[in-house]
Amino acid sequence: MRCSESQDPADPSPMLQMQGICKRYGAVRANENINFSVTRGQIVGLLGENGSGKSTLMKILFGMVRPDGGTIRFKGQALSGHTPRDAIRAGIAMIHQHFMLVDAMTVAENVMLGWKKAGAWLHDRQVAEQIRSTSQEYGLDLDPDAMVGDLPFGKRQRLEIVKALLRGAELLVLDEPTSNLSPPEVTALLAVMRRIAGDSRSIIFITHKLAEVFRVCQEVTVLRDGKNAGRCSTEGTTRAELARMMVGREFGLATPRVEMGSGAEVLEVTTITLKDSSGLKLLDEITFSVREGEILALAGVDGNGQTELVEVLAGLQAASSGRIALHGRDLTKTDVTQRLRAGLAYIPVDRATTSLVPGMTIAENLGLRDFAEPPLRRGLRLNHPAFYSRAVSRISEFGIRADGPGATVDTLSGGNQQKIVVAREIGRKPRVLIAFQATWGLDPGATRFVIDQILALRNSGGAVLYLSSDLEELLGIGDRIGVIANGRLVGIVPREKANPAEIGLLMAGGGLLPAALEINEDLG
Amino acid sequence: MPSLAPLPSGPGPSGQVPTTSRGAAFRGLFSAAIAVLLAFAIAGILILVSGKNPFVAYWALLRGAFGSTDSVTFALNKSTPYILAGVGVAICFRARVINIGSEGQIAVGGVAASWIALNVPDLPSAVLVPLATIGGALAGAAWASIAALMRLKRGVHEVLGTLLSNFVGVLLVSEVLHGSMGEPGAGFPQSPLFPQGAWLQPLFEGSDLHAGILLAVLAVVACHLLLWHTPLGFRIRLLGSSDRAAAYAGVSVARTVLSVMLLAGALSGIAGAVEVLGVHFRLIQGFSQGFGFNAVAVALLAALNPVAVLPAGLFFGFLEAGALAMQREVGVQSSLVYVIQGLTMVFVLCALAINSKQQRV
Ligand SMILES: Nc1ncnc2c1ncn2[C@@H]1O[C@H](COP(=O)(O)OP(=O)(O)OP(=O)(O)O)[C@@H](O)[C@H]1O
Ligand SMILES: [Mg+2]
Repeated sequence: MRCSESQDPADPSPMLQMQGICKRYGAVRANENINFSVTRGQIVGLLGENGSGKSTLMKILFGMVRPDGGTIRFKGQALSGHTPRDAIRAGIAMIHQHFMLVDAMTVAENVMLGWKKAGAWLHDRQVAEQIRSTSQEYGLDLDPDAMVGDLPFGKRQRLEIVKALLRGAELLVLDEPTSNLSPPEVTALLAVMRRIAGDSRSIIFITHKLAEVFRVCQEVTVLRDGKNAGRCSTEGTTRAELARMMVGREFGLATPRVEMGSGAEVLEVTTITLKDSSGLKLLDEITFSVREGEILALAGVDGNGQTELVEVLAGLQAASSGRIALHGRDLTKTDVTQRLRAGLAYIPVDRATTSLVPGMTIAENLGLRDFAEPPLRRGLRLNHPAFYSRAVSRISEFGIRADGPGATVDTLSGGNQQKIVVAREIGRKPRVLIAFQATWGLDPGATRFVIDQILALRNSGGAVLYLSSDLEELLGIGDRIGVIANGRLVGIVPREKANPAEIGLLMAGGGLLPAALEINEDLG
Repeated sequence: MPSLAPLPSGPGPSGQVPTTSRGAAFRGLFSAAIAVLLAFAIAGILILVSGKNPFVAYWALLRGAFGSTDSVTFALNKSTPYILAGVGVAICFRARVINIGSEGQIAVGGVAASWIALNVPDLPSAVLVPLATIGGALAGAAWASIAALMRLKRGVHEVLGTLLSNFVGVLLVSEVLHGSMGEPGAGFPQSPLFPQGAWLQPLFEGSDLHAGILLAVLAVVACHLLLWHTPLGFRIRLLGSSDRAAAYAGVSVARTVLSVMLLAGALSGIAGAVEVLGVHFRLIQGFSQGFGFNAVAVALLAALNPVAVLPAGLFFGFLEAGALAMQREVGVQSSLVYVIQGLTMVFVLCALAINSKQQRV
């Protein structure tokens, strides 16, 4: 089958058929006459740039957003005016980017939460047994008795999948499930997805990584500017063709890498150790330095101490021991504000509760870190015009798709929210940038843009500490590459000597086969 | 407390009110109106059940609230402490500091103002009244700081701290009235009448309307500017939305919590001072009775929006004034007012919860 502009599916009675879906938010047409269908037993990719309407379409399917027009048929039944509860009952499950789990409960308790069947006739043991058998069946490797708060990102995601499966979901919607995962975790997740689909269930898979689409999807639908840009079978298309459909243009060349020589040391971190209340070492004698005009890239599977490291550096947590210095000045005892003033910028991973305030406007969020300094403060007052004009220029520089500086951030698409964080932190021309999953949820074009911005910062003499689980991105951007595993920094090598397979082994603590490391090449 | 975070309103970054907020403000007004109407409808049924004609009763209520200059004056004076204390509570709740201690802060503010009025009676009025009012503000702020410090230093939740200090504050009033400040020989625990120089002067010749309402309007405007146009207001809103975001933005939790508590305490203290200097002209046991609850109710009815505290406070004041008339003329229990107030609150909170759910798509 060739690609086409929203051609009717070959399958005459698809499991899910959405037709003519429209949704407007003020002047923004989030969905404009979108057709979308899913055949039973298939994994269907849903592609599109940031703000192209993917999440909106899925929220409409799941009953979280009311469409302005269009029809939905699921398993032959019309779905309209439904709530998420109705959608779940009908057999649809949606796994959000931000999980809906209770940290202080075990895996089994989270599964039982809000599950009618569990209350009526199941007991703890039986639920635990079901979790065990289901997770074995699909290769999810979940311990029913583990506390959710202790689980890394990838495991929580699996818990959401188990919840969906046990509730009898036949159609799973995964909204950007791979954005925060390291290569081996992605591989494992894709394998789980294949098994689930093999069971004559279907999956809608939203991602920005084209390679992943080719690894698991049979069908792919592409959206652009809220409209159908095309749909095709993955066998009948190429990556370049999909990329063209997404953006309607070709990518330019990457920012050239300027050789920087060895500048002065800017950020010096010496034997930083962090212990939790029980004395367990979350960070174990971490020592490194970053020079002017250098990017130090740290690889690692989520939950190995990255969050702790960046929070200690940014001043959000105090280290148990060790020293942090910037341009020779000791910052160990300083607070967030003092570090900001010293020129330290920080892009955190968690935009839902840390790096953005969803209920505030774009202009306010762009001023989140320096609202009390001129020009954003004038005398005793906030200088609203300065907030406004900064927002106008950042919105255009960073291509943020929004209804203007006064729009609240919760009305933006995920990728555009991330662009606000990046624009704020890089836009201040910091001397040191700490970036943790800076390209989370960005489409290939925006990813390229952010990487270019970080390279430009480096080229102008900035020091960058770049943490990510995306190995390919790290190898592309880092001047030196290090690995963080179990709270330790293991081996930093210059980029010429970096070997993906070796780094992969280090990331997994040595226990992983190199075969599991397929490297994505999305930007090529 | 229901989620207090997503309540955008007020001016946008350009200084104008962005359209989204205007929509939200309109929705807020609309749901408040519906809530009030529903509350009156249900209370009307209760009046009917008690054997009275609800239309007659409500007519008496209306006349009691708006029927004459005197009744309007009475109602405005009643609204004043609700607005003063309510706007402080609204600011606290915005920062997710659940201050329910207005009652105690009002009581202590009244005690301080009374003490000044009785102990330096010879000062000229233009000095004595402001001095007593400021004394009330300082006392209220100091009282509130106890609960704030208990939270910051000892981790005692401010709900507990403010609740307990309410009991103590109210008891303090009767303590001083049975001791040094009591009027000897009076059948009721009260202080001697203040010297005329300490009386809050009426705004108009021959009217009972005192200057407190001006202070209340001033406080509302000041709190609005504080919340939307100053760095402290930005900190308050940040802390109210997420602890982690506040930390990331370099906001000091301790300083912000202390600031809002001191502010609310000072405003409640002023309310107490205005009550004793402008209405009773003496300290009376139980003068702050129920004010703390009403302040919280007013703040919530206003959806924690400082400007909206003004109409919300007036609503409570006029409702009470009208209810007294209704009781006098028709014989309907004035406790029915509490029913109407309570029902309004329930409906408004439901409406707010629905709104915020819609915003969190
Ligand atoms: N509640 C809302 N209010 C106003 N506009 C909205 C709202 N939700 C989404 N939009 C707008 O609709 C458009 C589509 O958003 P959507 O979240 O569907 O994009 P997306 O394809 O999921 O993008 P991303 O890849 O960045 O997650 C965006 O321009 C967004 O700003
Ligand atoms: Mg999205």
